[in-house]
Amino acid sequence: MPIRLPLSVVLAAPLLIANGEPMPRITSDSHEYCTELVGRFARLPGAAVEPARSLAADGVRLCEEGQPRAGVAKLRRAIRAAQAPP
Amino acid sequence: MTPQSTPRDELPNPWDPMLRFLRSAGFRFALLFAVVFSAAAAGFAFVLWFATAGSLDRQTDAALRTDALGLMERWREGGPGAVADAIAERLAADVENHAIYMLLDPQGRRVAGNLDRWPASVGQGPDGPWSFAFVAREGTSVEARIYAINLDDYRLIAGRDIEEKQRLRDTLAEGIAWSAIAASLFAFLGAAVLRRALANRLRPATRTAEAIAAGDLSRRVPSSGRADEFDRLGESMNTMLDRIDRLMEGVRGVSDSIAHDLRTPIARARAKLEEALADTSEPGALRAAIEQAIADLDHITRVFGALLRIAEAEAGARRAAFATLDLAAVLADVAEFYGAVAESRGQALETDLPERLDLVGDRELLAQAVGNLIDNALKFTPPGGRVLLSARILAREGVEVSVADSGPGLPLEDRARAGERFFRADASRGTPGSGLGLSLVRAVAHLHGGDLLLDDAEPGREPPGLRASLRLGTA
Repeated sequence: MPIRLPLSVVLAAPLLIANGEPMPRITSDSHEYCTELVGRFARLPGAAVEPARSLAADGVRLCEEGQPRAGVAKLRRAIRAAQAPP
Repeated sequence: MTPQSTPRDELPNPWDPMLRFLRSAGFRFALLFAVVFSAAAAGFAFVLWFATAGSLDRQTDAALRTDALGLMERWREGGPGAVADAIAERLAADVENHAIYMLLDPQGRRVAGNLDRWPASVGQGPDGPWSFAFVAREGTSVEARIYAINLDDYRLIAGRDIEEKQRLRDTLAEGIAWSAIAASLFAFLGAAVLRRALANRLRPATRTAEAIAAGDLSRRVPSSGRADEFDRLGESMNTMLDRIDRLMEGVRGVSDSIAHDLRTPIARARAKLEEALADTSEPGALRAAIEQAIADLDHITRVFGALLRIAEAEAGARRAAFATLDLAAVLADVAEFYGAVAESRGQALETDLPERLDLVGDRELLAQAVGNLIDNALKFTPPGGRVLLSARILAREGVEVSVADSGPGLPLEDRARAGERFFRADASRGTPGSGLGLSLVRAVAHLHGGDLLLDDAEPGREPPGLRASLRLGTA
């Protein structure tokens, strides 16, 4: 592991433990973020165009099935597809 | 090192074999090989790491810096709202799911981003705005590279989840570690092979040296036929041993000759003195015996003097006394001295000398060498015969002094040995002499960078006579 961890992390680790603060959490893998992305996607002019529409539908389904990370990934691809010029 | 041994010396030290091994040249060469090989492997690993893992790190940092600069631009254009929109847009388009952002207002409230709190390690490390932090993603701790900047009173984080890159680094590090182990094994294996090869190639020379040390002077280093450095070492050793062998034979020959040639005059002097002692009634006989004994002892002294001179000339000890001289004048003096001797024997000593012959050398030794040649020539030339002393400058800055006689000459087989100490040809046994004259001439020639050549004075004529040519170099 010494190769994996840079010196600054090794130095920082005791600080984290000493402060006793909880670790920051990434919030973009959550069901709430899925909802935010769905709203953003719906506002895009290319939302009804394939393959963006199908990707978004898959993303929503995955989020509802309890796989927010995979769902967010699909929704992001859908947004990118919808933003792409025709 | 004293030859006496102490009780301590007699006890075998169990570490001696190990110490001998560590001190051996083979071990040192092998160690050098291992160090060079390991250094090369380490250099290769360093370049590989720099070009892959280091490159990934640099790419991540460059992307973060560009990202942060873009957000600063948006800050200048539209303030916090514009930055929050830009962060939301970037997060929405982050298909790789690596992006981490956070914008805090002056009160520490989150305005935008995908982190729920400000990482404690940010801004506390030694790298200024740069830091590493652990963040939780779906309950798992992952490592992130963070670039933090202040936008007026707001604080902004642009970061990347580097977990995948870390896995790649781990794989690379593991590969390099295994390569290092393999390289170390190869280094030690190569070192062992090198040490063994060195020992094998040096063994013939070592064994020959041991055999010679044990008294077998006939042993020589065998050649492997590869014509490499070890064969050249063997050849040099063999040449040296041949030279030593010849020198020892020469010393042995001289010792034998001294014992043989000096025994006769010593025995004769002793016999004369004994005879005189037994018959002391005649003062005349006693005086004659003593005079004869003195003459014999003078002869012995002359022989030793000649030997010492030859040794001096061969050792080059007199080179320091070299000076520029006119050899023509020296030759004329010698010719004048021996001219009287020749005349008394009914012989003619003729000269053919240039006006001047400048040379750097030892006047006394040159005069004696030429004198010896003329003395020899006069000894073997019958009454009425002639001896010619000539000198000329050679084409390549050398000088040749020749003494040609009309005597019986010297058989070919004797010419090669004519310069050896105490050598006397069969035909000369009846004439007085010690067999050292030509030895001195040859030693003087060598001292002056030249040589002594013997050939027929007049080829085809009977008798052919002898021409002794003393060639002198530039010394």
